[in-house]
Amino acid sequence: MTNKNDLLAVLQVLKKYNLKGTETILKQEANLTDLPENFNHDASDSVLQAYQSEGDPNSYESCYIELLKFVDSSLDIYKYELSMILYPVFVHMYIELVYNGHEEQAKKLMKKFGPEQEYYYQSDLKKLEMITKRDQMSGNDLTDTFKSNEFIIRISRDTLSLLKRHLQEKKASVVMNIVNEHLYFDLYEGVARNKKQCDATAGAILGEARRQDNKVKVYYGLLKETDFQQMTTQAPPPEEDDDEGPDSDKPKKKKQKKDSLFSKKSKTDPNAPSSDRIPIPQLRDNDKAEKIRALREAQKRVNLGPDNLPSVCYYTLLNSIYSVTSAEISEDSSLLAIGFSDSTIKIWSLTPSKLRELKPAEMLKEIDRDVDDVLVRMMDDRKAETSRVFHGHTGPVYRCSFTFDRSLLLSCSEDSTIRLWSLQTWSCLVVYKGHLNPVWDVKFSPHGHYFVSCSHDKTARIWTTDSHQPLRIFTGHLADVDCCVFHPNSNYVATGSSDRTVRLWDVLSGNHVRLMTGHKGPIYSLAFSIDGRYLVSGSSDTRVLVWDLAHGHLIASLEGHTSTIHSLCFSRDGTILATGALDCNLNIWDFSKLCDDLVGENVNVSHNPDVKKGEQYLLRTFPTKQSPFLTLHFTRRNLLYGVGMFESN
Amino acid sequence: MSEDKNLIKNLEIKSYGTQLSQESIKVIAESIGISTLSDLAAKELADDISYKLKQIIQDGQKFMHHAKRTRFCLADVDESLKIRNIEPQYGFVSKDFIPFRFASGGGRELHFQEEKELELTDVLISAPPKAPLEVSLRTHWLCVDGIQPTIPENPPPLSKELQAQDSVNPVKKLEKTDLKDTSGKPAIKAHKLKTHETVHVKQLATHELSVEQQFYYKEITEACVGADEGRRAEALQSLASDPGIHEMLPRMCTFIAEGVKVNVVQNNLAILIYLMRMVRALLDNPALYLEKYLHELIPSVSTCIVSKQLCQRPELDNHWALRDFAAKLMAQICKNFNTSTNNLQTRVTRLFSTALQNDKVPLSSLYGAIEGLSEMGQEVIKVFIIPRLKFISERVCNMQGPDISNTERNAAGHIRMCLSKVCAPVLKTMRSTPDVLEDYKRDFGFLGPALHQSVIKARQTPSSTTTTSTTSAISVPSVAPRVSSQPIHRQMTQQQPQQQQQQNQQKFYIKPSSPATTSNIVKIQSSQKIFIQSSPKTVYVTNPSSGSNPQIDDLSHLE
Repeated sequence: MTNKNDLLAVLQVLKKYNLKGTETILKQEANLTDLPENFNHDASDSVLQAYQSEGDPNSYESCYIELLKFVDSSLDIYKYELSMILYPVFVHMYIELVYNGHEEQAKKLMKKFGPEQEYYYQSDLKKLEMITKRDQMSGNDLTDTFKSNEFIIRISRDTLSLLKRHLQEKKASVVMNIVNEHLYFDLYEGVARNKKQCDATAGAILGEARRQDNKVKVYYGLLKETDFQQMTTQAPPPEEDDDEGPDSDKPKKKKQKKDSLFSKKSKTDPNAPSSDRIPIPQLRDNDKAEKIRALREAQKRVNLGPDNLPSVCYYTLLNSIYSVTSAEISEDSSLLAIGFSDSTIKIWSLTPSKLRELKPAEMLKEIDRDVDDVLVRMMDDRKAETSRVFHGHTGPVYRCSFTFDRSLLLSCSEDSTIRLWSLQTWSCLVVYKGHLNPVWDVKFSPHGHYFVSCSHDKTARIWTTDSHQPLRIFTGHLADVDCCVFHPNSNYVATGSSDRTVRLWDVLSGNHVRLMTGHKGPIYSLAFSIDGRYLVSGSSDTRVLVWDLAHGHLIASLEGHTSTIHSLCFSRDGTILATGALDCNLNIWDFSKLCDDLVGENVNVSHNPDVKKGEQYLLRTFPTKQSPFLTLHFTRRNLLYGVGMFESN
Repeated sequence: MSEDKNLIKNLEIKSYGTQLSQESIKVIAESIGISTLSDLAAKELADDISYKLKQIIQDGQKFMHHAKRTRFCLADVDESLKIRNIEPQYGFVSKDFIPFRFASGGGRELHFQEEKELELTDVLISAPPKAPLEVSLRTHWLCVDGIQPTIPENPPPLSKELQAQDSVNPVKKLEKTDLKDTSGKPAIKAHKLKTHETVHVKQLATHELSVEQQFYYKEITEACVGADEGRRAEALQSLASDPGIHEMLPRMCTFIAEGVKVNVVQNNLAILIYLMRMVRALLDNPALYLEKYLHELIPSVSTCIVSKQLCQRPELDNHWALRDFAAKLMAQICKNFNTSTNNLQTRVTRLFSTALQNDKVPLSSLYGAIEGLSEMGQEVIKVFIIPRLKFISERVCNMQGPDISNTERNAAGHIRMCLSKVCAPVLKTMRSTPDVLEDYKRDFGFLGPALHQSVIKARQTPSSTTTTSTTSAISVPSVAPRVSSQPIHRQMTQQQPQQQQQQNQQKFYIKPSSPATTSNIVKIQSSQKIFIQSSPKTVYVTNPSSGSNPQIDDLSHLE
């Protein structure tokens, strides 16, 4: 039946645009000969039909009060789970009243019970409260969302039967209709949850995640990396030796260290995806050299922990009040890209070496291509500068992202385009058009080639640098997708959204494999732990939540900030989590302790474990002088860089 | 946290159902020439416009968040319009927020924005606005191995508000520790607080300085009173700007207090001046809150104002400058720290004014008292100095005879100059215009003619300059601290040769007494007494409200 309705809708569109040929073909193909006459009514109206009700508008309030009383008077063990239905019932009552033109009653209901709802629903209620007329509902995002989706509530069998019995006894048709039409109960066996448990995962625009949503297995392990040890010992690149003279005379020792570094990865991880699960580009010589350099640096890494806190170097942007929108540091910590609200991007070199440009074509011709240092010779030293500016976007630049080898830079902007820039010719290479609205975030995959972007148009997309078309479009979020990040193994993408959910998408299939609720505000930052198992998200509700990807459980809530958290960063050894927020504070959390505490617990697959409070893991807070954090970055040696703009009063 | 939520909730309730009023719509309609708008139309419009405005603002918030701001800007509105496919408001640019003014009257409340009409020609003629500064990068260490260095780029380790709270409300500290370990459990909290109170209050606070801090303290104190003027300038600069020295503050204050005690006895003018400059630097430091240490600073400063002798050769050395400078400091201290509980200004004023009541006070102390009072502002001059002018006149008059020492005559001259300078602006406002010399002579005795002269002079010059000349140093001390300390600096260099000698022999008198031996530190017990310890004999000034007249002798004891 639903299938037929879809077809009817398509036919209607065809009719509207007068595409007779296609229409007849479709009719034949679908065997739709006996068309109902009245199928001409507006499609959006049909969705709203559900709200057509003959109930007395004045009875809504008393119905709600009755429901409230029922919840209040029920036993404590069921109370909190039952109270979860109040908000969706309230919202749908309001929408119904407005739809049927009972403005006064709707306003009264909102005024009386709106402020009573949980604080995390207030922002949505305020949006809803604006709508007082039926014609304002058409095209409104929020009402559309409520209309076309069911509100999901996880509920124990006992609680649900209690509720059903109550509704049948009272014959509360208004509430009954809403419960039947717009609520989805995700049943589970066992004891009803208490208030803390209910609150932990509540907060998303449409309630909680279904158990179904988090059932698929996620391969959160890391890919087996190519072994670079042999390469380093066999043929150390000549320029390396020049750079680090003192190190080159003791290769023996180096090798042993490297063994220990890689010993963990050499075992096959049962949770790791096979290395050809998604095609990953071959490493070029350039990439290999860079990897080797990274390894060398990693040997000099300081191991961090509660007794060994990191040093923080802070870059303050002066004269930049309200003009800087983003900051990004390259993986090797040598470059800093700043996106401005006047649509420019400025690149700084953070090391003494300047930003060089590729020589012009006629000079490149003269270079001997077989020379070892051909890459160095190609660059023009005379045009070196410490900072450079990219012009091209036509709106604020919301994010930049460097490739691993520092040859390319991606940027996304309010003008709904993504641009790819070359850091060798210092020019724009590609403009990726596809998003319909401002693009909030863009990130390269850790293996290069792929990148992910997300936008106000509620989608996240996977692209490759060599194609104009996105490879995957992830739809499912119910509001802006505010941030996105690749999993370290490049097989998954995590997105955070204004609908207050975090989702994990499989790059291979394009499906969402995890749906995680619990944030009470839009999510603005995401980061995967170094081992790939955990995901942390920072939100405007001032909390950082830690999720276990194995089952999609919320495991810890790190509370310590007082404003939106825009930057999260793990130390290179994965022991420390640094978070920076607009409250000008940098918090250092002991992540290894959190992991250790988790290992001991036996995880119940269907039930969310108790959420750990963050206080015990907070190691230190460092305030800055009126400089909110834009980004944080750990260098390969575990020195922490912070970037912020100075806001003088 | 729950309080926060309640607060948010209250705000939410207030903002439910906000809407443009019909009147606003009508006013707006009138402003574009539609004079007859029916009520019904206005209501419909108000509803619709409110809805649309709210939607635009709501979307604009997203842009604000993604620009990582906490303040809503005009640009956000433009971008919000753009995603709705509406042309943005070209030409309306404001970097900052637009200030709305509020007015009420006739039972109505009005929010409006003041828009000045600009003359186009003026805009064209005036110089083009300066190009904005280029964005630049600056690096500093936010922390090193988990320890935040106290450098000017980092916020002070203990914010001024906290220091203030600390010194004003000692219970605060106890409450805070309690809150931390029982957050979210109000029932236990009340219980715990009780037990803690009985145990904690009597505990001694250990106060340790790191090796670096000890080294810094040594360097700074040596530089401040040493011979090298360049190093001193650096040290004072450091005292005035370093955010992290609050831990050393008790030591610094003890150093100053002890230094003053010793050097007043030794009549070592140079060191006294250096110490006062240290006080000045500490007062100028924006990160410090000195209230806890006023009991050490105020006696020291007042000693430098009213002590009978501050230098070895009173007839030659310019100890007047030190008195002036210290008086300014005192005024600044009163201004910064006077509260209704400590009544600082009242007590200090009382201290000075008692000196004016007594005819045995030496002239140098009298001068100090006058100077100290005059720095407190015109009202104080009016109430405390003017009525005593005749009395002072007599004393000054007595100093004119041939048998009077050079020193005394010099002092009398300074008092006369000082009085005519500070009293003129006040007398100008107090007395009616025909300034008759005879009246002045009658009212003020010997000083009459001089005052008459200066009042007439004051009447001729525009009033604003005369008043500020006496008060500027007090009212804007923090703005130009370096400038105002200049005069004393210059005098110092004039007297350099003889002081150098003094320093060499007397340097060892300043011994930073160890702060642990606090027994000999003079304290103000929060209200009643101010001690001035300036000589081996302890002399103290008690509150005049306590009755009798002991304080009349106080300053004479300084002899």
